[in-house]
Amino acid sequence: MGGFLLRKAGAALIVVFLSSIVVFIGIRALPGDPAVALGAENRDPAVMAAIRHSYGLDKPLPVQYVKWISKALRGDLGLDSRQLPVGHTIVTRLPITLELAFLAVLVGTSIGVLAGVIAAVRRGKLSDHSATATALVGLSVPHFWLGLMMIIVFAVDLHWLPASGYVSFRAHPLGNLEHLLMPALVLGTGLSAVLMRQTRSAMLNSLSADYVRTARAKGLSERMVVGKHALRNSLITVTTVIGLQLGALISGAVITEQIFVIPGFGRLTLDAVNERDYTLLQGVVLVAATGYVVVNLLVDVAYSLLNPRIRVSGASNQ
Amino acid sequence: MGFVDASSTLINPRARRRRLLRKRFLRRPLAIVGLVVALTFIVCAIFAPVIAPYSASATDFNALLAHSSRHHLLGTDELGRDVLSRILWGARASIEAGVFSTLLAMAVAVPIGIIAGYYRGWIDAVIARLTDVLLAFPFLVVAVGLAAILGPSLTNATIALGIGAAPALIRVARGEALALREEDYVRAAVANGASDVRILIRHVLPNMLSTLIVQATVAIPAAIIGEAVLSFLGLGVQPPTPSWGVMLADAQSYLSQAPRLAVYPGIAIFLCSLSFNLLGDGLRDILDPRTTR
Repeated sequence: MGGFLLRKAGAALIVVFLSSIVVFIGIRALPGDPAVALGAENRDPAVMAAIRHSYGLDKPLPVQYVKWISKALRGDLGLDSRQLPVGHTIVTRLPITLELAFLAVLVGTSIGVLAGVIAAVRRGKLSDHSATATALVGLSVPHFWLGLMMIIVFAVDLHWLPASGYVSFRAHPLGNLEHLLMPALVLGTGLSAVLMRQTRSAMLNSLSADYVRTARAKGLSERMVVGKHALRNSLITVTTVIGLQLGALISGAVITEQIFVIPGFGRLTLDAVNERDYTLLQGVVLVAATGYVVVNLLVDVAYSLLNPRIRVSGASNQ
Repeated sequence: MGFVDASSTLINPRARRRRLLRKRFLRRPLAIVGLVVALTFIVCAIFAPVIAPYSASATDFNALLAHSSRHHLLGTDELGRDVLSRILWGARASIEAGVFSTLLAMAVAVPIGIIAGYYRGWIDAVIARLTDVLLAFPFLVVAVGLAAILGPSLTNATIALGIGAAPALIRVARGEALALREEDYVRAAVANGASDVRILIRHVLPNMLSTLIVQATVAIPAAIIGEAVLSFLGLGVQPPTPSWGVMLADAQSYLSQAPRLAVYPGIAIFLCSLSFNLLGDGLRDILDPRTTR
């Protein structure tokens, strides 16, 4: 098992390294000379050269990269256009999005897994058909539009929930949940549709497996068979799907935060583009890509804990 | 059916297979509904100038935020523009982004995936890592980057959506190639001394085509929603060009005065992507017998 995880961690490290190069080159491909921007009015060649020298812009790209990445590893992502440290801004915004994502995953898995299990157990019955149809609708509906509809109904018409904004959990726990309820539903239902379909087919597979027949043959109650044997094996699929859906979750957080005016990581990303703040953008994208890789590494760890076969035979697979 | 027809299908296995598939497809009403609705949206997109009652940018200052009427079936927006016409014109951006981003993803992903699966070894490992790198950048982050570098436009949004769809397709194509290389007819071709290019194009690619068609039909609705998201955020289609995402963004300021402005474009996005999803589910059932449903 140690070997398997070590290989996975090694691969993740390579991916993070390559991603950081992509981010570095991407930012260098942006139009405009940073020295011109920093020099403001002054276009004197000597001043420009001095600026380039003091920021290390006259050095070859690999040297600039090493300097940038070694600072980033120490948490120094540079200063944004307002001269604020980018690392600090990200650290203050990230918890808001993490809370939103956590609630969304909670909503998504509870609805998705439950509906998937029910549909598989009652295969071909009315509850299966309605759950499958709902999942198809859930896959086809644009979730940010669902958010707008929720605002119209629950905020504009009924005045039950605030339409936008955010208060921290520590300052006002109930207000915090009120503000995050609709965003978490919007973000979570998208996940639940995907999860429902995957859980259903995984459950159908494991329900027809030999060990489930054995469990039934030895007289276990249907609840034990479904809950303990079939579901546990289907959860392996569910873990993988959540890892793969993380990209969609990041994209979803950006637009959800935009609609509900939540000052999280997603809005920070859009602000960076709209204000053409490239240092900020660089830091945000680097953190997002690294976070994606790290979470998927954790998914692999969870995967190998849930599935003993992976620890032995999985090492030989890609 | 005449005697001649029956014998010709018996002789030609391809025609027989095609007839079998058509028969299986016609037994799925939902897939047919999906096909019809999807085709309707495509026709709307192509013939928008002919079908739409008004031009997408024609303003009528006597009817601002007007309700549905004989003149404006779905009412008008804050500038007095006909909502129905704008939805019909907006189909263009959605279909364009959906189809072209999927084609782009296919053109990039399929050759890479086939090479990884067919040759395996170090090249497979390298491609697997590069795919992981692509996956680490969600389509919205790619779109944000492209909008920052090249400026926001439908083309750049389409490219971002294509890049976003590519990793999953690479994995599918790789998996298929991995299985197909062990098939007897591929081994026979190798024994006959066929070149690698010939084997990949003549034997491997055609046999994964049905899987790829299913994948494409599922990628299109995702891209249609993706285009709406990007245009909504101002990273895609730029106003005054009509797009369902732009219409939703405009409607956001009138949620309490005219909520219907936010309703209609959303329904259009929903129906359009639902139709492709229904079609994709149906195609998967008839083309891919391995998946049990």
